[in-house]
Amino acid sequence: MKNLFILVLIVSLTFTFGCGGSTPPPATDKPVTVQAKPVGEAQKFSLAWSEWPGWSVFGVAHELGILDGKEGKLGTIEKKYNVDIILKEMEYDPCITVYGSGQVDAVCLTNMDTLPNCLGVKSVGILPNDTSEGGDMCIVVGIKTPADLKGKTVYGLEKSVSQYMLVRNLELNNIKESEVKWVNMDPAAAATAMQQKKPGYDAIVAWNPFCLQTLATRTDSTVLFDSSTIPGEIIDMVIVKDSSLKKKGGKEFALALLDAYYQVMDRLKDPKTEDETLKLIAEKFSNLSLEDMRKVKKGTKYIYTPEEALKFFESDKIKKTMELVVDFCVSHAVVDKKPVVKFGNEKDAGDADFRFDPTYLKEIIKTRK
Amino acid sequence: MIIRKPFQEKWKPILIGLISIFLMIGLYFFMSFRQHEINPKDTTIPTITQLMKGFSKITAVSHRGQTWIGQDSKATLYRLFLGIGMSVILSLLIGLSMGCFAFLEAFLLPINALLAKLPPTAMLAVFFVLTGTDTTMFIAMIVFGLTPTISQNIYLAVKQIPMETIYKSYTLGGNSFEIVYKIIFKMVLPAIIDSIRLSIGPAMVYLIAAEMVVGDVGFGYRIRIQSRLLNMSVVYTYLAFLAFFGFFMDFLLKYIKSRLCSWQRT
Repeated sequence: MKNLFILVLIVSLTFTFGCGGSTPPPATDKPVTVQAKPVGEAQKFSLAWSEWPGWSVFGVAHELGILDGKEGKLGTIEKKYNVDIILKEMEYDPCITVYGSGQVDAVCLTNMDTLPNCLGVKSVGILPNDTSEGGDMCIVVGIKTPADLKGKTVYGLEKSVSQYMLVRNLELNNIKESEVKWVNMDPAAAATAMQQKKPGYDAIVAWNPFCLQTLATRTDSTVLFDSSTIPGEIIDMVIVKDSSLKKKGGKEFALALLDAYYQVMDRLKDPKTEDETLKLIAEKFSNLSLEDMRKVKKGTKYIYTPEEALKFFESDKIKKTMELVVDFCVSHAVVDKKPVVKFGNEKDAGDADFRFDPTYLKEIIKTRK
Repeated sequence: MIIRKPFQEKWKPILIGLISIFLMIGLYFFMSFRQHEINPKDTTIPTITQLMKGFSKITAVSHRGQTWIGQDSKATLYRLFLGIGMSVILSLLIGLSMGCFAFLEAFLLPINALLAKLPPTAMLAVFFVLTGTDTTMFIAMIVFGLTPTISQNIYLAVKQIPMETIYKSYTLGGNSFEIVYKIIFKMVLPAIIDSIRLSIGPAMVYLIAAEMVVGDVGFGYRIRIQSRLLNMSVVYTYLAFLAFFGFFMDFLLKYIKSRLCSWQRT
């Protein structure tokens, strides 16, 4: 009987400790404080980001001391808004999972990958970092026109922006999707296979830096088409949980992210600091050289100012884009249910699963003047 | 409590084992319940109804008459068995020859010891380069991961056979090859089976890591794509399948061992 008792004890101990660690902080319903004077202890918020030209900017903000990504330490902007932003760098796929399970308040995702997430976690897009206009490419060997793709096999990551880019371009060229065989493969692996001249790998879809690398290593490879034919349709952005925005300090958190982002953008825009800033971003993006980073920058169109971003968020184009993306996600089983996507502030679009909210952009435009 | 004092009743250990499994399942559903209290729409720790939905999704028959689970099991198990099978044959050759012949021992042992410490998952990119990205790559990964360990286990088991047994076999008129096959192989058979049994886990780790990166069918592929889409109900169901498969293989090999090596039971 004694043994049984000890066993039960061990199991119950595991039980207590096993659960205790993962308790997320309960959401408070307190009204959002207006950012006048910071009072009290800085609220903690977290942002998960992966290496990408538009998102590595947050890594640069950490290097510059604008945002201190470590818990308990405040950068200049964090002090200004009295929030403690914890930056968590990880691979892109884990970003999706940690955000979906509610372990972080905000995440860097594309507009498309937010759709499966927003069905579980009500999401708000607050900041468009960049749009892909050439950064996602279909690289081919010995294929001259899109029509020649018929009957060929194209390798790339399934149910991702790569497949979206391919399908949209096939549409634009009046080619049926069923005429081209799509096979799932990690973009890094597909690029390696093409660079090694493995037979059968004469068409891949990938993103940078894999594309640049492949084009440089295999001289006979060319770009058949890229995301510049669908400008503004692949949006890299910062998504925040609706519930986190409603927490105490949630609004300040959003504004701090925007402020930090545009401070780095100001440096990137200024010819005096451009190269230096681009170098810093390159260090946080696969450690590319400055020349390569310049090439990447051509395909990744930064949205430099909040004014530009606001115009983009309020344009008719983005609404049409999201319809296209939602349709793609439904027809390709990326989502089971059609998510409700709306544009506007909480009052107008608060019931949507995923809303593009210009409130914070407007606010930051006011404070920057 | 006295060390190693067994239970008097046979049913007791079984009951305790069942309690531990039920506690684990209970803990899972408790966590799922709590997560759904925080967010009712959560899909990351699915409830039983969500899991049922996931199950029906993976068993749904497509227009080509295939189910996800059918396709994926076929592909993954084929790769797994081929990989494990080849590793076993290779390890048997290496392990026995290292254990029996001093020259081969001196020649093979250092390489083996070095390679045994290299995790194949860290060398994924190297495998693309060396073996391409077809079935060969999956098999190569498993073989590379398992062979050094299994052959070392066999080698150690051979070394444990007392010299007296070998001298006795020589005295009875056996030649070296007869002794290797008729005495040594049979004596290390239980160690071989145990070693295979313990290798199934690592083999699945290597295979699934590779499938997550390349391939358009298989457990690793499905788990990666579905977790990107946060369809955790599918992911958990697949994980449950993997656990049952591992458990079944373990059971099967234990049974084979008890049939083939009944002499070993003490």
